[in-house]
Amino acid sequence: MEEMLRTGKLGADFFTHSYRISGQVDIRRQSLADILNDRTTAFIGLEDAYVSPLDRPADIVATYAASNLVKGNLTFVTVRHGEDIISRKDSYGSYLGSYLRKVFLTVPAFEIEGYLRLSGKVDLRRVLTVESTDFLAVLDARIQASIHQDIGFTGGGTLVNKRHIGAFCLAEEE
Amino acid sequence: MARILAIDDNSDLLRMIEGLLRERGGHEVILSADGEDGLAKAAANPPDLAIVDVMMPGITGYDVCRRLRQQPATAEIPVIILTARGQEVDRQAAMEAGADIYLAKPLTMAELLEQVNRLLAGKPTRPAVAGAGIIAMLSLRGGVGVTTLAVNLALVLAQQGDGRTCLIDLSPSSGSAALQLGLRPDPNWSTLSTLGAPPSPADVDTCVLGHASGLRLLPAPFTPVVGVGLRSDAALGMLTALKGRYCTVVVDLPSVLNESTIAILESAGAIGLVMTSDPPSIQATLGTLQALRDLVPRVHIILNHIIPGEQAPVQALERVLRQQLSEVVPYDPAQARALSRGEPLAASAPDSPLARSVALLGTRLQPTLQQVAG
Repeated sequence: MEEMLRTGKLGADFFTHSYRISGQVDIRRQSLADILNDRTTAFIGLEDAYVSPLDRPADIVATYAASNLVKGNLTFVTVRHGEDIISRKDSYGSYLGSYLRKVFLTVPAFEIEGYLRLSGKVDLRRVLTVESTDFLAVLDARIQASIHQDIGFTGGGTLVNKRHIGAFCLAEEE
Repeated sequence: MARILAIDDNSDLLRMIEGLLRERGGHEVILSADGEDGLAKAAANPPDLAIVDVMMPGITGYDVCRRLRQQPATAEIPVIILTARGQEVDRQAAMEAGADIYLAKPLTMAELLEQVNRLLAGKPTRPAVAGAGIIAMLSLRGGVGVTTLAVNLALVLAQQGDGRTCLIDLSPSSGSAALQLGLRPDPNWSTLSTLGAPPSPADVDTCVLGHASGLRLLPAPFTPVVGVGLRSDAALGMLTALKGRYCTVVVDLPSVLNESTIAILESAGAIGLVMTSDPPSIQATLGTLQALRDLVPRVHIILNHIIPGEQAPVQALERVLRQQLSEVVPYDPAQARALSRGEPLAASAPDSPLARSVALLGTRLQPTLQQVAG
């Protein structure tokens, strides 16, 4: 296995309705999905937060050594590698036999296209319900700003806040 | 052994970089935990290469990169931007700041070492700065020889600049740059224009053709594009991808001022506005200058004589246009044969009147690009 140049913290981009906030999350032995779906706290702690307005997503307008984000106000979170968002309980073979299904969904200011990892027959109510988890894992997402068509993002792994999803469309099975 | 300056506020990562470069690369490593300190160390004893993190307290890595480029003593230091911000917009920002290579974390140790060694070996990787390196060729009146001049100009620049020049033919109506270069336009940008998102550099690479001269071409589709044509995000995506790969990108624009062409004109360091001396072309040129009034400092008017015989006096045209002509390209009877053979004069007959004139145009446009870059 190749040696990675990384620390124990995970770099991620957090998006609200108006801002992109990049920072490091101390995930320890958890995954980002576990932390975001943990309902014992409404906040997620971020180290080295770098703030950019959505219409100028590469411009860093503010930096903070430590900050807390309100989970409920996040629309989605992206990381480079899909494995970084998979919940620990799903990480060790429980998804063997699962399949990927193309999905298109909208959240305020963005359209997200990617893949859901599913197993068995899809029950949309179950996928979208917030009873179990608040954030939906979308793999290999292409994210397009709906107003600024020249602004787009990609994420090997993207966690979308279910409470902000407007439209949710599953592609036909191939 | 090279001296490498690593600037990163993360002490753990700095130690890893130091260990990697010292033990596996055999390099001397200077460490700095913030941008101002890094700049001071670079100025005091310029390193052979700098690795700069983007997200640091105080000044960002982009600012560090820009300031390194502004100082004569440090302007030529190869810079690797290393950042946890791994989006395409971040890569663009890094390249616009003057970075040679952009690497997103996390990455493997081997990957970083490979890029360091690649830069130190002197393999050219420096991309164009935003605006600089892009020459847009335009006329709102068709049939004045824009593509001919764009092709020959790109060839001249490719021959002068170690081949790192790319030409894009953005015509939606069966562009002829590939034909003029004797290439088959397959693949072409039509596949890129249908992507749901701006094309990635890898997407664009798959559509670029090579010419024997070293020039690269992103050709237009052979079949005319029906409908709205190329979206501005797709056009800019192509341009951004090519800017990261080539020193100079010559864009052959279609005869229309739509969202895509305006976006590209705004990105260009130099705009070659091609005209002939007939009244409709003069009128179109005047109208273009008015429409592009904010971009006029970058506009170079090129008078192209496409028919033999007596032409309108240059001074009279300059009075009408209220602007000097940058180049007058003489009529060249060899052009018709060059076109039919797919052998542009800049490559097949560099001493021909047209090729010599285009070579002069190239020398006039390049300082303009450098000024924009500065």
